[in-house]
Amino acid sequence: MRGRPVILFSALAVAALLLQTTVLPLAAIGRATPDLLLIMCVYLGLHQHSVGGAVGAFSLGYLQDAFSGSVAGLNAFGMCLVFTVVYLTSRRLWVDNTISKIAVVFLASVLKTAAILVLVAVFMSIEGLWRTMLSYLLIEAVLAALLSPAVFALLAQTQQLRKAEEE
Amino acid sequence: MLEFVRRNRVVLTSGSLLLISLLLLSAGSRERRRSDPVAAIVLDGMRPLQATVAAGIEGLAGVWRSYIALVGVKRENERLRLRILELEQQTPRLAEIEETDKRLTDLLAFRSTLAGDTVAAQVIGRDPLPWFGTLTINKGEADGVHKNMAVLSPFGVVGQTMTTGAHSARVLLLTDHNSGIDAVVQRSRARGIIEGALDGGCVMKYVKREEDVEVGDRIVTSGLDGIFPRGVIVGEVTHVTRGTRGLLQVADVKPVTPLDRVEEVLVVRGPAELKEGAP
Repeated sequence: MRGRPVILFSALAVAALLLQTTVLPLAAIGRATPDLLLIMCVYLGLHQHSVGGAVGAFSLGYLQDAFSGSVAGLNAFGMCLVFTVVYLTSRRLWVDNTISKIAVVFLASVLKTAAILVLVAVFMSIEGLWRTMLSYLLIEAVLAALLSPAVFALLAQTQQLRKAEEE
Repeated sequence: MLEFVRRNRVVLTSGSLLLISLLLLSAGSRERRRSDPVAAIVLDGMRPLQATVAAGIEGLAGVWRSYIALVGVKRENERLRLRILELEQQTPRLAEIEETDKRLTDLLAFRSTLAGDTVAAQVIGRDPLPWFGTLTINKGEADGVHKNMAVLSPFGVVGQTMTTGAHSARVLLLTDHNSGIDAVVQRSRARGIIEGALDGGCVMKYVKREEDVEVGDRIVTSGLDGIFPRGVIVGEVTHVTRGTRGLLQVADVKPVTPLDRVEEVLVVRGPAELKEGAP
């Protein structure tokens, strides 16, 4: 992915972050909100089997770190891990229909939260954080999974742009 | 070798980025509140967009609130229907102005109770993740807002600045688990540290077991941390836990400031104290 598709993907990432920091907290279930950047990361893992895809996943995580109260690297690690696992999985398994993509997003959300939990346990001593994260784990995963078809449909525009540029 | 690298370049890149993330994390976790120059630039870059979206949402919320009010009035008093319809176009804007005016008046009144250098700021963003409590405000280094400055509302304590850009700053809310505020029980002067409790509330820790703390007690800042002025309200005690053993007791504290709805805040830019007669 290069040129206009990259610009479009970056614009969509900024829009997703804007939504996540302004609109979505107002419609949160408890405190759980869908992680739109995670869905974008899964998309990269499924469709961008390149160095750019990995860098994109890292950037999405770093962007999330910059806007949250977390330490830099926490979400960046989670996103890189999700990208790597989805990338390796999609090379071996056929993940191309909507249901399987929804399932991948659900599992990716669980994986990211689990990775963050482990990192928090190793690097930070935040008493009781795991309890809070576990209580939102499933809700967040379901929300992300439910929104994934719409986000994937938007992101498919970048694929179409890329094909158009290649032609 | 080159062929191996070429074939596995994606996995190798991912592995390197995972390693970089771990290094960033390791460096960041050593100092409790990091100062990330890249994050400050990103924060500043997003500020105009966040401010625009926040203003749009506020406008929509104003229209929605006015619409609900309008429906209620129509049901209650059919006689005024035509008059209301005439005013319909003006109502959302006026209601919004009135609400903003009230909030700003409260903020101004609160500001006048503080002797010290303060600056008013607007909340333009919130933490994208549910388990951290931060806000983004539209004032930064250019406005004299630096790291570790107290952030207050007319209700009481909001938090303290943790990252600053040129024109925006991130505020660590008092309910975030990284937050620590030196505070006292207003009635008995029992001292402790207010920390975030992950459930949207706070806990007062490190209070000696023999100290007098009761449900309903008001907690105020002690002023000893050099960040918050002395005597600003933090919250109210909702539960006290005294185990059968140990030297300390823990009190659950409900913040007085509605942190999920706060829209304007005051940043205290230097030493400040509450004037006599302040609430």
